[in-house]
Amino acid sequence: MIRLENVTKSYSTEVTALRDANFDIAKGEFVFLVGPSGSGKSTMLRLMNRQERPEKGAVWVAGRNINDMPDSKVPHLRRNIGNIFQDYKLLAGKTVFENIAFALEVIGKPRHVIRQQVPAVLELVGLGGKQERFPHQLSGGEQQRVSIARAFVNRPLILLADEPTGNLDPATGEGIMRLLDRINKTGTTVVMATHDQRIVNMMRKRVIQFDRGVIVRDQARGVYE
Amino acid sequence: MISRIRYTFREMWASLSRNLTLTAAAVITSTVSLFLFGGTLLIQRAFDNQLKKWTGGVEMIVYVNHGATPDKVELIRKALLAESSTVETVDYCDETCSAGIAATLFATDPAALEQLLPNIPSLFKVKPVDKSSSALLRSLKTQFEGLPNVHSVETPDEAVDLLSQLKDFFGVRTLVLSVVLLGASALLIWNTIRTAMFARRREIEVMKLVGATNWFIRLPFMLEGLLQGIVGAAMGSAALLFVNDNWTSGVRGFPDNSGLKSFVVTDGFPLWVCFWMVILGAFVGAVGSATAASRFLDV
Repeated sequence: MIRLENVTKSYSTEVTALRDANFDIAKGEFVFLVGPSGSGKSTMLRLMNRQERPEKGAVWVAGRNINDMPDSKVPHLRRNIGNIFQDYKLLAGKTVFENIAFALEVIGKPRHVIRQQVPAVLELVGLGGKQERFPHQLSGGEQQRVSIARAFVNRPLILLADEPTGNLDPATGEGIMRLLDRINKTGTTVVMATHDQRIVNMMRKRVIQFDRGVIVRDQARGVYE
Repeated sequence: MISRIRYTFREMWASLSRNLTLTAAAVITSTVSLFLFGGTLLIQRAFDNQLKKWTGGVEMIVYVNHGATPDKVELIRKALLAESSTVETVDYCDETCSAGIAATLFATDPAALEQLLPNIPSLFKVKPVDKSSSALLRSLKTQFEGLPNVHSVETPDEAVDLLSQLKDFFGVRTLVLSVVLLGASALLIWNTIRTAMFARRREIEVMKLVGATNWFIRLPFMLEGLLQGIVGAAMGSAALLFVNDNWTSGVRGFPDNSGLKSFVVTDGFPLWVCFWMVILGAFVGAVGSATAASRFLDV
């Protein structure tokens, strides 16, 4: 599903975010990208949805080298990739329903599809009945669930999650991980950047560890070291 | 498709209402600049009408020496008619006819008339082909003054010159001013769209990440700019029609010899100008917003 070949990404001559990264992620896998802040985890996620382009190497997503992809095709790539963020990135002026519907609306889904899919995904993330609330009326965990619902409502092939439990207490974080695990079991590939040791150890999924832009470990059913 | 259209208009309206003061500023600037632009065209047209009115009666008067014999008069007529490329008509007014004109002109000054009548010249009324060219009038005057038995030649070239100068003076200055203001309104619309996009950068970021195309994101902003340009043009057009009507009805009350009676535009020209103002307003709005929307999409 995702393949990186000798990927190097620099932000300046002094800062190399990733150096010669290579790995494959199969369809339906759940992968943790771990490492300290600034080790290259978020850069890796940004390369996967073409928010960034590498200086060297190739990033393959669903069989296509996305570095060579024309800009006009990038939106279509992104419709197959859901994004989850540490700060949720919800729109404060829109209700829960509208925040999720927005993701479908901007890719041109008709109204009847939106009316059908939004309540279904809200049930999936455990927020049925809260669709008229605004983000500030929800807890952090609930807001992250809305963010996950928005990322998953279009049933993408891949979910990219950047520190989704970073702002949450341990119990709420565990709930979010259970939800991501359920989504992963539907066949969606999940790639999650985190430095939450407890969660990585609890999930026992594949772990790719970064240190100053270099992959230092790639372990199936790994733990945080 | 319907949901996209609905979305586009809803977002455009939301953006307009969020930036109300900037939107108002952009619309007012468009209104003023387009009003001036349309006003320039109407002023030029009014000068043209005035010039047409003046030059409609333009005749060169070629005075023939008193007592010139008919064959000498005929020679002058032939010389005038030989200029067929520059002279439209030649009418002869003999000394009796000339005395009749003098009697009308000097009706209130019998002493001057009495002094004039014994030596009254006959005259030719010559209509030139191009009545608005003072250079041509001057050249014909020099040419005809050299003919034998011609006493003098009078032309209205100074009046034509003055009106042409006035037309150029006002026309160029108001045109430059309106072009500068049009540029300012495009810049203001550009800035409004830029601010609107900055205010909604979080939404735009989400839109890009969920796979909205650049055109889908741009379109509401471009429509917003387009609408600002069109509303500005419509307001400018309304103001222009009002001012033109007001001017026309005011000038109609002036006396006939005021020289301003024809300085009006009463045919369908103002509506034609308004049509182009709306097109220009839409163009300025679309260009300003399209540039901003393309430039600031990477927020």
